[in-house]
Amino acid sequence: MEESFGDLKKGQKNCQRTVHCHVPCQGYFAPQKIEEALEILSKYGKEIKIIAGGTDLLVQYYDRLYEINHWLDLKNIQELKEINITQDEMEIGAMVTHTQLETSEDIKKYYPVLSQAAADIGSPQIRNRGTVGGNIVNASPAGDLLAPLMAYNAQFRLLSTTQEEKLVSAEEFFIGPKKTILEPAQLLTQIILPLPSERTYGSWIKIGKRKALIIAAITLALVVEMAEDHKTVKDVRTCLGSVAPTPIEIKEVKKKMAGKNFNQLDFKQLGQIVEDKISPIDDIRGTREYRKDVAKKIMIKALEEIDESMRGEEVI
Amino acid sequence: MSKLNIELTINGKKRKVETTTSTRLLDLIRDDLHLTGTKEGCGKGECGACTVIMNGELAASCLILAPQADGAAITTIEGIGDDKYLDPIQEAFIETGAVQCGFCTPGMILAAKKLLEENPHPDEEEIKRGISGNLCRCTGYQKIIDAIKLAANRLSSSDSGRGKKDA
Repeated sequence: MEESFGDLKKGQKNCQRTVHCHVPCQGYFAPQKIEEALEILSKYGKEIKIIAGGTDLLVQYYDRLYEINHWLDLKNIQELKEINITQDEMEIGAMVTHTQLETSEDIKKYYPVLSQAAADIGSPQIRNRGTVGGNIVNASPAGDLLAPLMAYNAQFRLLSTTQEEKLVSAEEFFIGPKKTILEPAQLLTQIILPLPSERTYGSWIKIGKRKALIIAAITLALVVEMAEDHKTVKDVRTCLGSVAPTPIEIKEVKKKMAGKNFNQLDFKQLGQIVEDKISPIDDIRGTREYRKDVAKKIMIKALEEIDESMRGEEVI
Repeated sequence: MSKLNIELTINGKKRKVETTTSTRLLDLIRDDLHLTGTKEGCGKGECGACTVIMNGELAASCLILAPQADGAAITTIEGIGDDKYLDPIQEAFIETGAVQCGFCTPGMILAAKKLLEENPHPDEEEIKRGISGNLCRCTGYQKIIDAIKLAANRLSSSDSGRGKKDA
């Protein structure tokens, strides 16, 4: 056939390797069901690489793709690509792309900080392919979605090859740079976010040297829930990325803000708390000193933004 | 690395291709399909020279494994315009001097194509965001932005005419 290409000589077997696979083996699995994916995963364990969008993985393995003998591609599993609202939760499939997060009306409405963070990732090319599950599992300290997910109290649904289901919080999940508690026999299937109350406000700030395709020097996801009187702060989540081995929450901010009247808060003092409580490192994206200084300033800016959006509502 | 067969539609044509599990879509397009308009710049998704339209979305073909594209519909720069008529975006790039060395041009034109499909009247900020995944190291961006504006104007003024001709 004229339109058949490739360098395989006629008669050559499908698989060159005999160590890990059984002929006929194609080394590439793209199942349609989660159960099938788990079955494949249980068979190959550490020997198989799970691929979602591939936007981090192919960079990581840029010059050594040949090292990977088996791939498990999740692209055909429809239920991993969906965003669904249940009674009081939002379920985001692990294969939902950044573009989907950016454009979904539900995400914009309930989790604007997450939607804005998705819009700030990479470039159109990256957002169209990269996924929320990939961003989580890759666990880069600079992963743009991680601080927002933590700020919205995200839980991750992990399914094991024995079909055991486990829900873990973002805090539990990330244990170091590129390190998580995910086991080789587990698959991240969904991200579960509680639906926030209508009195929830958020602000997202990402600092980097340029707007597109930048790995963040620092990110801040601030989510403030007000009490029913619309004046008293009920709950606060101050989460930052790129300032520690994992995304972190500054819990001291919550202690200072909860139960207080928002109008009487000292934004500068709160900014100082953030600066004092983080201990970032020097790297090519910024020095420790710079990051601490900027952390304070963006905290103040985020509080001002939330203040403004609350005032905006009062006028209406 | 294992061999496998995939099927994909490239520029409207169905192709069956034998590939491997460690071949990138970019390599498949260039080396196996000999469509060399798609370029490799950084190989890490940062420069946009390898941009294609995959299933209606912009994608960096250097960050896609060939088997990931199994069943996909892909448009490369060779699928824009034809031997007789250039696409209005291509014409606009030539007229405004938006092409110098030409290495970023295929990716830029595909990004512009996608942008104008979704948003026929983009403002300057929207154009910048639309091509934010594509680097140009010689012409500079101003002429490219001018070209996209010119193409947008032409496309919108000739909308009805073109539509009828195609139908």
